[in-house]
Amino acid sequence: MKLKEIPFNDQSAERIYKDYLYRIKKEVRGLNQQNQDEILMELNSHIYENLQEHPTGNEVEKLLNILEKLGRPEEILKPLVADKKLAEATKTFNPIHVFKALLLNLTNGISYIIFFVLYLFLSGFVFLIGAKLWNPSQVGFFYKPGEVFILGLSKGLANPVDELLGNWFIPTMVVSAIALYLIITLLLKLKRTINK
Amino acid sequence: MNEDFIHKWISQVKKGTLSFIVLNVLKSGKAYYGYDLINEIKKITEIEIAEGTLYPLMNRLKDEKLILSEWVEQESGIPRKYYSITPEGKNTVTKMEEYWHNLNHSISKITK
Repeated sequence: MKLKEIPFNDQSAERIYKDYLYRIKKEVRGLNQQNQDEILMELNSHIYENLQEHPTGNEVEKLLNILEKLGRPEEILKPLVADKKLAEATKTFNPIHVFKALLLNLTNGISYIIFFVLYLFLSGFVFLIGAKLWNPSQVGFFYKPGEVFILGLSKGLANPVDELLGNWFIPTMVVSAIALYLIITLLLKLKRTINK
Repeated sequence: MNEDFIHKWISQVKKGTLSFIVLNVLKSGKAYYGYDLINEIKKITEIEIAEGTLYPLMNRLKDEKLILSEWVEQESGIPRKYYSITPEGKNTVTKMEEYWHNLNHSISKITK
């Protein structure tokens, strides 16, 4: 189902209406097409039904009253978009969706902040893969009991012979990143299930 | 009297009870679309709700499987999204009512 726009006689009313639709579209842009259409069509239907109830009178004034009561898209859609994005993210396992969903939900409680930090760790592993290629001798996992424990750039603080992983560094980081990613997404799913 | 405080308190109470109000309207089994539901709530309770807050709430209730939604085509070409209560929703609202009555009872004792 696609959106059918409401016809207006008054040009100003039409402009106000189109601007409002544009603001809704902008707010829901991060969601998948189906969710975008759903939200847009439902608010469009709200405006239409409301207008139908008062068939006479000044279109501009009626429309402004309706939109004022409905609220600014930037405010009313925030919780809706955050919820839907999270549902999308935990369904798809797509890292971009998960990242966006976490950003949108940051204000929804401490647990999302924890998830966000886990996600930063994850990007740390990915970053280290690039860093290893760029600076092979100084980047790695340096460990000597009681003396050195560095995962990352040694900055000359560690002896290169204490690097334990060698050529296995990149594969280890890849596996760690994937494992952490799966864990984060599963935890998010679990959290959603528990919340239900 | 601190009007600002009362104002905030009222909006919190409204926000907290909106799902209870919505489920109560839907519990008869009749399906409503968003705008219709808002009008029904106004008609029965004289409570003015912030209309835009209804839609995120409906999405949550649907996620919780307390209500279902269905798009119904209209002659105008602008379809309506109808919401109806699920059996789980009915059981849930019954439990909520029990709690509400107990709360009401306690509040009336404390405000004597």
